[in-house]
Formats: sequence, C-alpha cells, structure tokens
Amino acid sequence: MKRRLLTVLALAILLPSVSVLLAAGVGIFQHRQAIRAVARTYVQDLAESTASRVEMGWGLTESLFAAKPPSRFWGNRIFSQEVGIPGWIAVLDAQGRVVMSTPGAQILSELWRPQMPIGEAVETKNRAGEAFTVAAYPAGDTGLFVMAAVSWKELLGPMLRFGLLLLLLVGLVGMAGLVGVYLLWKTVISPLKSLEAEVSSLEWGKDLPRPRDEAAVREIGRLREEFFHLAQTAIDRSVLWKRYALDLVRVQEEERARLARDLHDGPLQDVTAMIQRARLFASSEAAGPERSVHLGLLEESAQAAVREIRALCDELSPPWLELGLAGALTELAERLSRHLGLRIFVEADSGIGDGLSKEKVLALFRVAQEAIHNSFRHGGATEVFVRLFREGETLVLELEDRGSGFNLPEDLTRLRLQGHRGLANMEERMALVGGELVVESRLGQGTRVTARVPTS
Amino acid sequence: MAIRVFIADDHPMTRAGLVAALQREPDFEIVGEASDGNEAWRIIGEKVPDVALIDIRMPGEDGVGLARRIKESGLPVSTLMLTSYDAQQYVMASLRAGAKGYLLKTASPEELARAIKTVAKGGIYLDSEVSRVIGEQEIVPESLSNREREVLILTSKGLSSKETAARLFISERTVQTHLASVYDKLGARNKTEALLLALKYGVMTLEELLE
Repeated sequence: MKRRLLTVLALAILLPSVSVLLAAGVGIFQHRQAIRAVARTYVQDLAESTASRVEMGWGLTESLFAAKPPSRFWGNRIFSQEVGIPGWIAVLDAQGRVVMSTPGAQILSELWRPQMPIGEAVETKNRAGEAFTVAAYPAGDTGLFVMAAVSWKELLGPMLRFGLLLLLLVGLVGMAGLVGVYLLWKTVISPLKSLEAEVSSLEWGKDLPRPRDEAAVREIGRLREEFFHLAQTAIDRSVLWKRYALDLVRVQEEERARLARDLHDGPLQDVTAMIQRARLFASSEAAGPERSVHLGLLEESAQAAVREIRALCDELSPPWLELGLAGALTELAERLSRHLGLRIFVEADSGIGDGLSKEKVLALFRVAQEAIHNSFRHGGATEVFVRLFREGETLVLELEDRGSGFNLPEDLTRLRLQGHRGLANMEERMALVGGELVVESRLGQGTRVTARVPTS
Repeated sequence: MAIRVFIADDHPMTRAGLVAALQREPDFEIVGEASDGNEAWRIIGEKVPDVALIDIRMPGEDGVGLARRIKESGLPVSTLMLTSYDAQQYVMASLRAGAKGYLLKTASPEELARAIKTVAKGGIYLDSEVSRVIGEQEIVPESLSNREREVLILTSKGLSSKETAARLFISERTVQTHLASVYDKLGARNKTEALLLALKYGVMTLEELLE
C-alpha cells in the first residue's frame, strides 16, 4: 500500500474526476432528452388541439379566418395576442398557404421543411441556430393543416439555462480534476519516481544523475540539482582520495629512498672505515705510533657515525618530543634558529601542553616545523613568533612572521593538486587529531598560521 | 676516599664500557648497576652512592623521573645524566629535575672522570659537546641586575613572559626587555643558552633554579 501510495493518490483524484465528468455528460444528455420530450409533447398537444378546434368550428369561422384576424370568436382566444402560451400556430391550406396564424408566426415559414411528416413533432433550427420543435397536424378532412412551433428557449428558458449551467460546472470540475491528475503525474509523481530510481541505482563516487528535470516542479528540480551536486562532490572526493593515497605511497617511498641514501652515505661509510682502521690496528706490521693513529681515526669515524645517526633519529622522530609540547617547540625553535639563521621567539605558559596526547603533540610539532620552514623558505622571514596558549578547552598554537606573505587560494586542496603539499598536509594533520588550521596571509604583510586542538 | 658510583643503563655494552673505564681509575668504586629505572631506584635507596650515572631513556621509570625522585627523597646522591641525546631541552629537563650534570655517552673517559668528580663535589657539569654551541669563547659576563636575574630564573623554570610579568608585577614588554639584556650580557641567543651560560659562569646557581 505504502509503496504504491503515489499511484493510489493519483487514482483517488482521477476516479472521482472521471465519474463526475461522466455523470455530467449523462446529465447533459438526459437534460436535453427531457427538454426534447417536453417540447414535443407540448407542440403535438398544441397542434392537435388547434386542429380539432379548427375542424369543429371551421364553418363558422371560415370567413373570419379568411377575411381578417378573428376578434370575437373562440378563434380569437387561440389566435389573439392575449393567448399567454408560448409558441406559434398557423393554419395552412393544402398548398401550404397560410390561412390564419398567431402573431409572429412568420417564423414558421422559416422552419418549414418540405418533407416534414404529418402528425409528428420534429426538431429543427432557425437561421440563427436556435432550437425549435415543430409539428403539423391535419384538421380532420377540411383539407387544412395546423402547424405549431415552439422555441426551446422560450418554453423552458431559465430551467434550460440553469440546469445546463449546473451540469457544465460539474463537468468543468471533473475536467479540472483530470487536468490536475495529469499535471500531478507529469510534474511530481513521475519526476519523483525517476529520481528515486536514479538514486537507488547510482554508484556513489562514480555515477552522476541527470542534472536537471525540466518537467518537474521547482522543489523536485532543486532536489535533483542538489543530488547532482552531492554526487559530483563524491566523485571529486574519490578522485582526491585516490590522488591522496598515491601521494602517501610516493612520499613514503621517497622517504625510504632518502633514508637509505643517508644511511649508505653516512653511517655505513663510517662503520666501514672503522673496520678498516681496526684491521690496520690489529695487523702485525703496525708499529706503536702508527697504531695510535689508526685508533684515533677509528674513534673519529665512530663519533661521526654517532652524530649522523643521532641527526637521522632527530629528523625521523625527535626523541625530545617526550619532553612535552613546550619543551619540544623550544628545542625545535633553537635548532631551526641555529640552522636557518632565524630569530624564533617561543612563548609558552608553564605546563601548557601537559596531558596532551602524543598524537596531538606530534601534529602541533609538525605544523610548527612546516610553518617555520615555510616562513624561511617562501616568506624570507628573519623573525618568527611562536605562541602557545589556551582558550578554554582549546590549545592554540600560533606562528607569525613578518615575511613577504602570499595570496592564499580559497581552498588548500587546490594547492595540493598543484603539488604544494605543505599547507594541505598541515591542515590534514590537524583534522586527524580533531583540530583545525587557519592560515592568514596577504602579499607583503606576513603570514599567520593558527592551529587549534581540543585539550581533551 | 673513593667516590662511590652507581650506573643505570639498559644497554649492556654501554654499561660494560662505562664500568671498564671507571675501574681504571682508583678514585672510583662501583657500588651497583641496574638495567631499568625501577631497579635503579631500589639499589640507590639501598646503597646511597655519591654519584648516580643515569641513562635518560630506560624501561620502567625514565632518567629524568628518576632524577626527580632522588631530589625529592633528599638522599645525598648527585645525579649525572648520561645519554646519547644532545638536545638542550634534555639538559634543561634534567637540571630542573635536580640532576647536577649532563654527559653524552660519546664523551671520553677523561671527561667522564672529570664530570663525576665535579658533581661529587657539588658542582655542575655540562657536556662540552652539548654546550659547544654556547659560548665557544670564554668571556667574562657583565653582571646582571637583580631584576634581570629574577627574570632569568623564572624564565628558566619554564614560565612564559606573561607569567613572569604577573609574578614580578611588571609588564610583559619589560620582561622581554630584561631578557634581551640578559641574552646580550651572557652572549646567549635564546632562553636555554641563557640558562646554561648563567650556570656555566656562575651567574645563577642550580639551587636558585630548583627553589
């Protein structure tokens, strides 16, 4: 029932409309039949009774009939204007000439048809198209005929008009219902059904529905547009996601390659040198002072290896992150300021990052690292201000420089698509720990990067 | 009388190397060894050595935590941190936890002996490689004003400029002006260097930091 509700709804309007329309049609037909019957009986009665009177009183009235309009006899009652009955009567002779008539009976000649049957009522129309019923009756064996006619309009005027009007109105209601159902089907039900079918068969992130449905009502049209937009976004997202996954793999591989290279060029060479020196030291040919030279170089190589491995460790995952956010940021700032020749000011209230999860500390740390590098590399900044403070339940890390700044694109993913991963990476890192990143910059006015994370 | 030394390090090779180096010197007596923080704490309580050589990264309680426990227990034990980390923030963390010295594991046996002797006498010893970045040249620092010393001490304890300002009832800007002046006088480039140099030159004592 529920599944076919729309069809049921359409039927609920369609069926009454059709029956109303049918009833109105039948009513109009019946109405016409009734009028026809009334007019027929009336005209027949009129013609017949006049004919019998003409037959009975013919001898008396003949001269009067023939000479001038009757005034004193019964004929007077029938043919005078005072007769209050609608219709016209005329007495004709066998040649069809009018012997007598009521006033206005000229119309009868207009209605006269050559093959008109005698003793039967017929419907006919005048030149103006008005409906009349006409009957001709023989007046006994006088050789005369009585012809009577009545106008439907005159006989049943108001009844005809109002009865018909009512039925026409009912018919119109029925028609309106039908048109309504048609429009409902075309603009609502059918678009809804097709939208529903498209939605249920759509492969999210892959297919697109039709963007527009011209036939549908505005609301459904909007629904479809909105749906199209969503499907489009899903596709964009899946494209971005694929690219992101590729990026991840590529970055990981690049990182591994670099690490392997660094290990090979650094510690591996040092340790190889150590082994050579140890062998030279142990060889029997080596004399006293020469041995101490070998030993000295062996230690030097070992020290170099330690320094290189330590630097690698610091770069991969700085062990001093365990000192807490403020300590880690201070260490980072001091190292980078030595390394890059920047002045970096760190302001952090005591114990500010205490209790913050490792993931959040790492995320904020990487944001700071990236932002300081950006300030130096792209902004040409000489001073960076790092502030760490609380705003209620939120920890805020703010990095500000007075560098050259840049015009920020609307969407950081666009930068990512252009191959600039830095800002997008920072944003994603923050998003991963439930935080957010805001970058404010204007060409020539420096840059401010603000990272916010909930403390709990 | 020999200095009684205790060694805590989870790496057996390193521990063996340290023991070998210390045993050459008649001035030292090794009273115990441990391979994790909890065991170390137990032996320290038992033996009460003069100097405890403690690795920063250990299973159980880490080195900084152990140093803090020793300080809080009031045992007459001088802690010397021994580590492979050269991060100055570890030095800061160790000193704040009450350690008297900080030495890299790559230090020479001579430097090790010097460090142990220094802290045993109540002095402070900072590894030459870690403090290499600070004050290569020996300078005689200008003396600090009282306010500058106060600002330096509070900042070294980990307070921000704002907190320091609130503590001393001065403005944040004034704190920064004082700090800039301190850096200038000590030849430091940042807070950490300022603290280390102040300790090195004796402008500030470890006790003041721990107050």
